Amino acid sequence: MSPSASEPVPTGSGPAIVARGLTKRFGKVTALSDLTVEMPTGVVGLVGANGAGKSTLIKILLGLLPPTSGEARILGLDAATDGLAIRQVVGYMPESDCLPPDVSATELVVHLARMSGLPGTAARERAADTLRHVGLYEERYRPIGGYSTGMKQRVKLAQALVHDPRLVLLDEPTNGLDPAGRDEMLELIRRIGTEFGISVLVTSHLLGELERIADHVVVIESGVLQRSTSTAEATALSGSVLVEVTDRAADVVARLRASGAQVEVPDDGATTFAVDLADEAVLDAVAAAAADLGVGLVRMQRRRHHLTELFREAAR
Amino acid sequence: MSDLQPAAAPAPGAPAGGAPAGDVIHDIGFRHYDGPRYGRGWIVRSLLVDTVRGVFGLGRPARSKVMPWALVAILAVPPIIIGLIVLLVGGDDPPITYTQFLYQFNVPISLFVAGAAPYAVSRDLRHGVLPLYLSRPLVRTDYVAARYGGLVLAVFAILAVPQTLLLIAALLAKLDVGAQLVGWAGGLAMSALLALLLSAVGLAIAAFTPRRGLGVAAIITVLIVVQGFSFALSGLAYGQDAEGLAVLAGALDPYRLIDGLAVWLLGADPVIPDFAPTDAGQGAVFVLVYVVALAAFGGLLLQRYRKAGRL
Amino acid sequence: MSTIVLDGVSRWYGNVVAVNDVTMTVGPGITGLLGPNGAGKSTLISMMGGFLAPSAGTVRLDGGEVWRNPEIYRRVGLVPEAEAMYDMVTGWQFLLANARLHGLADPGAAARRALETVDMLEPADRPISTYSKGMKQRVKMATALVHDPAVLLLDEPFNGMDPRQRLHLMDLLRRLAAEGRTVLFSSHILEEVEQVADTIEVLVAGRHAASGDFRRIRRLMTERPHQYTIASSDDRRLAAALVAAGAADGVTLQGGSLAVQTSDWGRFVHALPQVARQSGVRLLDVSPADESLESVFAYLVAR
Repeated sequence: MSPSASEPVPTGSGPAIVARGLTKRFGKVTALSDLTVEMPTGVVGLVGANGAGKSTLIKILLGLLPPTSGEARILGLDAATDGLAIRQVVGYMPESDCLPPDVSATELVVHLARMSGLPGTAARERAADTLRHVGLYEERYRPIGGYSTGMKQRVKLAQALVHDPRLVLLDEPTNGLDPAGRDEMLELIRRIGTEFGISVLVTSHLLGELERIADHVVVIESGVLQRSTSTAEATALSGSVLVEVTDRAADVVARLRASGAQVEVPDDGATTFAVDLADEAVLDAVAAAAADLGVGLVRMQRRRHHLTELFREAAR
Repeated sequence: MSDLQPAAAPAPGAPAGGAPAGDVIHDIGFRHYDGPRYGRGWIVRSLLVDTVRGVFGLGRPARSKVMPWALVAILAVPPIIIGLIVLLVGGDDPPITYTQFLYQFNVPISLFVAGAAPYAVSRDLRHGVLPLYLSRPLVRTDYVAARYGGLVLAVFAILAVPQTLLLIAALLAKLDVGAQLVGWAGGLAMSALLALLLSAVGLAIAAFTPRRGLGVAAIITVLIVVQGFSFALSGLAYGQDAEGLAVLAGALDPYRLIDGLAVWLLGADPVIPDFAPTDAGQGAVFVLVYVVALAAFGGLLLQRYRKAGRL
Repeated sequence: MSTIVLDGVSRWYGNVVAVNDVTMTVGPGITGLLGPNGAGKSTLISMMGGFLAPSAGTVRLDGGEVWRNPEIYRRVGLVPEAEAMYDMVTGWQFLLANARLHGLADPGAAARRALETVDMLEPADRPISTYSKGMKQRVKMATALVHDPAVLLLDEPFNGMDPRQRLHLMDLLRRLAAEGRTVLFSSHILEEVEQVADTIEVLVAGRHAASGDFRRIRRLMTERPHQYTIASSDDRRLAAALVAAGAADGVTLQGGSLAVQTSDWGRFVHALPQVARQSGVRLLDVSPADESLESVFAYLVAR
């Protein structure tokens, strides 16, 4: 059968995902409410309450569920009408257990590559390559049933990438992984977004992870958009410096205050305190104070804002 | 295809102009794909072929080949033996007609379906694999259609091959070519109808019994119980001189249903003459039951997949 | 104020040693029990709560042994990881039943107080089957608090929580600890522990690998050199000066900052401000690069 030449083709520029007034109701339950947001290319993190909202949004973005009202465009394609075209250029890594235990990773990924419309040879070659990229080597020939959680997550990721999608939806990719595995997965995701040139939408509860890899963060709670901001903006440097010295903190603080700096000390006896960064001269003052008093300067860090603050500032 | 790819990372180590040919580091980073991407039709066909292959254990570990091929042997060997008998002993007709074969070997056929149907659908349901299919360029019904079509093809194959062997033996024994070909064609047509029905029943049951081993047991139990019940009903009715009911009770058993259709539509020899449909009313009932059963089990199967795929 | 003391505690199942010779003290405040999956955290918590006997060693609460001592259940609340709950009853009924089972003097008031603490008073009249996952978690917590225990043990309480739920729970734990309780929770997700635990106890393959404040533990890890990232007005000059002063083992110029390796941390931190001043370089940012809990943890797991 000839390639589907009549299917709509994704556009090359602009945001990866655009939602306008996107609403989805199931009887009395409103899963998404008037969602209007633009998610740029690159790595976007999606955070928020569990429940109907996230899985509904994913189904809509994959073109599997028509919205009740409003629209969603993925890579320029209309989610309500171009479902098949979307699923040709989008990859999905489910959160749930979805791997058959009695086939090998190679068999599964080759099969799924073909299920994405890739002819046999291309399916085999791309499967082999993709498994290498996600870090599965000899184990790829063994049945999936014997894999560790980390390996299973990699297989799930491989099947999402094998058909060279323009965008991948990764649903809680670090779920169940221990710190080392988490690190590796995050690094892999970062590579996908940068080296591989594939846009990524990652859902996660762990803000620390998103700070590491996401360029942009979208917060949705109870189906309503709370924030959409670039990570850089949300983690911008705040106006204060965290200072820690080895000892004689009180003396250092006294000196700094004497020179006019605003210093906040959490409690007496602490070796760590925060100094308002009125201008860079303050940094000199800190270093000088440490040098004069002969104490060690353990840290002098510009404090950054954190994604957690997005949750604190919205009214409880 | 228009230029859609974002700029890939520049190839590392690509030689600057003027490097001698032969000394180069190739870029084995992530490759983008420019080749053909086939559409739904190709994908469904591909999945269908995979299903047929899998049913016969091809591309799977050795132990999954045992049951299906043993049953193939059980179905194929008797026709060969019958053929030899015909060749040696002579006669005008083989001792068993093409359509009677379908009824007489209903046990191995049922066993085959009972083993194949769970392979086709239960595994994916049990392990929640459906989201991986649904997120691809096919539709939910495509998946079901491919699995169904694959099973139908496999069942049809195990019915067609023995019947063809029977034909070959008959032709070698120089029986009447015309009659044999007609009988064979009729046999294949009935095989197709039987395959369609058994596959729908088998898949519907398997889709609701994803637990390992449960599907096989459930399917074989249903088919045997239904057969026994139908036969008992017929016998009872016949004993009470309710011959019409005795005939109609046959419609409950898929094998007798097909046999009834063969008798009514093709004029074939019935397996049990006393219970064969003889008038238009009975014939119409048989046709109706077939269509309704196919639609019902097919509908049940589709319904199961509407909810499935906790995507 | 209650203190749990484990002394040489081990727990095995045949040849599988889930907890291997652990000695630790858990006092008031919030303690994070950290370890990879399968490190023995759940087993340890079960032993602390008196639900499992140690195969060797003793677990004591304020001097009294915990095993086969029903009295301790008055003072300990355990929130297990398991999710199953009685779906048919309402939140209120469940709490009331728990309060009665504890033999409390005024079960109604206790139940009410517990539900208030976890912010579940309003939905308490609905059946538990209608609750979301987060709400069920909170009801579980309430049942562990209904008898006002001095010790609260939580097994992977943050599992699967979204950021808002996590913030709520962290605030709750802080409040409980501020009241003088001993709170211990387990996790394999470092960023959760980092934000709320005063002390961490690290468990690796059943062994007690480390204990204390993770930054100070890092200082104790003298075997591995410290890494620092420094931004300054003149990285090259500073790099040269640091090496010349013998304050660093290695310096790497990387983009807009300096990566420094040092095996003598004390010497380095004291020398840094001096060297900077002497060479006329302004320090813009001085950050330890490997002191994150992740880094400490990775090191401990690898030993």
